[in-house]
Amino acid sequence: MSGAGDVREPEKVVSIDAEYLSGKRFPYQEDISLVEDIDLETATPGKDLNWLEDVELLEEEGTPAVFDRYSNSFLRIYFPIPEGRENEIARKVLMAHLTGGNSYGIRLKAKHAKFPQPELGPWVEGSAVVGADWKPPVLEGWEPPEH
Amino acid sequence: MDPVNAEEPTVRMDERGLVELDDSIPKTSKIDGERAELDAREMTTRKINAELRWLIYEQGVRDVTVLNPSARHSLGTAILARCRIRFEGSLGYFGCGLIDGPEIVITGRVGWSVAENMMSGVVVVEHNAGSLAGAALRGGDLVVKGDVGARTGIDQKGGTIIALGNAASMTGFMMQRGRQIICGDVGPGLGDSMYDGTIYVGGEVAALGIDCIEGEWDDSDTELIERKFANHELGKPPDLRKFVCGKKLYNYDSLEPSERKLVL
Repeated sequence: MSGAGDVREPEKVVSIDAEYLSGKRFPYQEDISLVEDIDLETATPGKDLNWLEDVELLEEEGTPAVFDRYSNSFLRIYFPIPEGRENEIARKVLMAHLTGGNSYGIRLKAKHAKFPQPELGPWVEGSAVVGADWKPPVLEGWEPPEH
Repeated sequence: MDPVNAEEPTVRMDERGLVELDDSIPKTSKIDGERAELDAREMTTRKINAELRWLIYEQGVRDVTVLNPSARHSLGTAILARCRIRFEGSLGYFGCGLIDGPEIVITGRVGWSVAENMMSGVVVVEHNAGSLAGAALRGGDLVVKGDVGARTGIDQKGGTIIALGNAASMTGFMMQRGRQIICGDVGPGLGDSMYDGTIYVGGEVAALGIDCIEGEWDDSDTELIERKFANHELGKPPDLRKFVCGKKLYNYDSLEPSERKLVL
């Protein structure tokens, strides 16, 4: 590019996954025994899988992964997935992630939720309520413009 | 000059007239263990929603009956917990939007955009719904036992919409994922510009929209229809035809990764 000199394009992260956001990998991403006992029908409203019906096993950069819509990120799965159980295992790993409060979106709630809501969402009964005392952030030295 | 018969307003609103300034919670519901009855007759929208949240989040109530909703707008919105809510009457527009977890029954009718952006849960409307029912639905079941208006499930990204009656024009417009089961007739423009998803129709189709084609029925379609009708006790499903995207207009593979995530 003419006249660009040493100016370089900033690094663009196009595949933000759950590990990138949390800075660590979670045990249920590596051990199927930690998710086997999760009852998906009990974990969802209604008489079937409800919203989990739309959750399927996908891939992120060649690794099996399930999408966490609450943090807009992929959660990779590193253990071998039994054939024919791909979507079931993906859903169980996602529920382990959400009920454990590890989804990045959940971790933001305590500070940024603007109205009262259960911290862990609808998946955990008796979850603490956050967002009851939200105050708008104040930027030091900034004054609202006169209209 | 003061108007004749000037009275002190009972509800103080912000300068734009959009937000009720008093955010205190009435705490007037009758609570009996995990059940509660909320009479909304004398309450404003903000008070009703605040009372609902207080009952469900702070009082441990799991089953709320709301009396006299009086077709007010935006009731039952943004409830983010597993619970049951029954509205005894009709709701106005944007009823039960942005919810995640509740199972809601509305015994009357609803205005436009019922259950818009629902993440999970079940919303059952015993009579008709206005246009844009289930707009941008992300997950869960929306069941309308009467007719639905135009653009049902516009921009739908998941979940299931069932209408036992007819649907108006542009049903499933720009639909991206999920399922619609329309038992009656549908107006022109069915599935116009849909990216993905499935629309089942029991009656006549006035006209297909751009890039919407009839799909081949398989066992998974039968399983879905029978399961949903059984779950919601809707009786025997009618004979249905299946409509899908012809995939001539759009291809997800060519989209940026961030755009792909928008529909997951």
